[in-house]
Amino acid sequence: MEHWGWLIAIYLFLGGLGAGAYLTSFAAEKGFLGGATNLNRVGYYVSAPIVGFGALLLVTDLGQGLRKPWLILGMFANLNSVMTWGIYIVSAFIFVALATAYFVWKKKQAPKLLTYIGAVLALSTAAYTGMLLAVVEAVPFWHSYLMPVLFVISAMSTGLALTSMLAYFFEKQQVHEERVSQLHLLLVGAEIIIIAAFFALIYFGGQGSVAIESANRIVIGSLAWPFWVLLVVGGLLGPMLIFFVQQFRRKRQKGVAQNEDMTVQVEQVTEGNPKSQGALILLDVAVIAGGLTLRCVIIFAALPVWNGFLR
Amino acid sequence: MSNNKRLSRRTVIKGGVLLGTVTAIGLMSTKALWAEQVVPPNTVPLSKKKQIGFCYDERKCIRCEMCVKICRNTYKWEEGTIWRKLLKNEKGEALSMSCNHCTDPACAKVCPVVAYTKRESDGIVIHNPARCVGCGYCLYACPYHAPRIGEKTGAVSKCHFCYKLQDAGQGPLCVGVCPTQALTMGDMTELSQKGDLNYKGLPDPKITKPNMIAIPQNQ
Repeated sequence: MEHWGWLIAIYLFLGGLGAGAYLTSFAAEKGFLGGATNLNRVGYYVSAPIVGFGALLLVTDLGQGLRKPWLILGMFANLNSVMTWGIYIVSAFIFVALATAYFVWKKKQAPKLLTYIGAVLALSTAAYTGMLLAVVEAVPFWHSYLMPVLFVISAMSTGLALTSMLAYFFEKQQVHEERVSQLHLLLVGAEIIIIAAFFALIYFGGQGSVAIESANRIVIGSLAWPFWVLLVVGGLLGPMLIFFVQQFRRKRQKGVAQNEDMTVQVEQVTEGNPKSQGALILLDVAVIAGGLTLRCVIIFAALPVWNGFLR
Repeated sequence: MSNNKRLSRRTVIKGGVLLGTVTAIGLMSTKALWAEQVVPPNTVPLSKKKQIGFCYDERKCIRCEMCVKICRNTYKWEEGTIWRKLLKNEKGEALSMSCNHCTDPACAKVCPVVAYTKRESDGIVIHNPARCVGCGYCLYACPYHAPRIGEKTGAVSKCHFCYKLQDAGQGPLCVGVCPTQALTMGDMTELSQKGDLNYKGLPDPKITKPNMIAIPQNQ
């Protein structure tokens, strides 16, 4: 079953990544990521281009639609199809994200309503990429309620990682808010739990033997290497451990500093350390690579409910 | 000013309301979607609408594959597409199968461009290749692998139950050519009394409610 391959997997990943980047800047702008954040612009800038590029990949994966592009307009037609929902959501999101980016670029305050609509559309974009697969009953491995949840969490996590990384390279003001690390830790932790639940439901729930066969491909089969190395260890457990240690150290240092009444100085030393910043960038890359791996293994593990042979 | 002060109560409430709304919308649509799979819209009970279907009797089938050949030769299947297939296993058992013109056609539900239509008059599911963008979504959705993408055009095509012939008062070619009447067609209200498509490893008929029955050898 290989109608959908790399292009669709990357499209689903980019949809989530762009949506997550928008949500990160939205959260930063609204003050959820601490007072001195520098994440309030980059995510807005990159979200529309990323999702737009993803949509372009989707188009190049089309059969006849690529040769007769006017047919693509027809994809707005079936309001019962999740793919049609996606076409509406993604188009609207690209439009709103571009508008938001324009305001930020002009250094004007983007209208509140616009950013809120953008945030809802971003969440919808991320959820849709999971729903697209979850509604396919004939591919038992995909047919799971947890698929959209998993994709939304992964979208937020990769979006936060990308925005932090780009802010490090492109923003003059360098800050690192503790809240960002906490959120990173929370998202990665949530993703681990959801992935565990996702596989537990397949192995112990009622999705059937074909779903188990698909899961086996990922856990012990041909997709096991990327799954365990790039996603579980590199993209989830590794980052979680480092975020955790970082939190722990920070708390201890803070404790010491408070005793000596020199909080500010210690904060500056630990936050501005280029070595730790470099490590954080590496973590961001690992989280993003994990997100891409997640989409790829899920697409490639698809097996049809019936293999086409008589038993 | 500490970080926490920046997060006013108003902001938190607003964020909460936003998150709640999104979750509600998400859950609602998920529910609606799954409910739809049980009772799809536009589906009137069978008694009110006519639904025709295929009947395959393995006891009568001599595996000549005439049904496949006449379909391929008449409709000039594009490379990569298969409208009808005679499935066989190592025990010598067989099944001649095409599109099953399902009561809940998953292909039609997922197709973004509405290339599929299910006729009210007889329940035939017709695919219009002229509208098809070739996204491949229906290939995943159909549990029977009926829709396939043509290599040259990039468009899907599949069995249409010879609807033009049927409209002209004739039967479908595959049924007409079968020398032993192993492959027949009929009204599903009658056919479903005789059997179903729960047959030799085929997918659960509950998924799309296929309009075909298969009568196995040892019955």
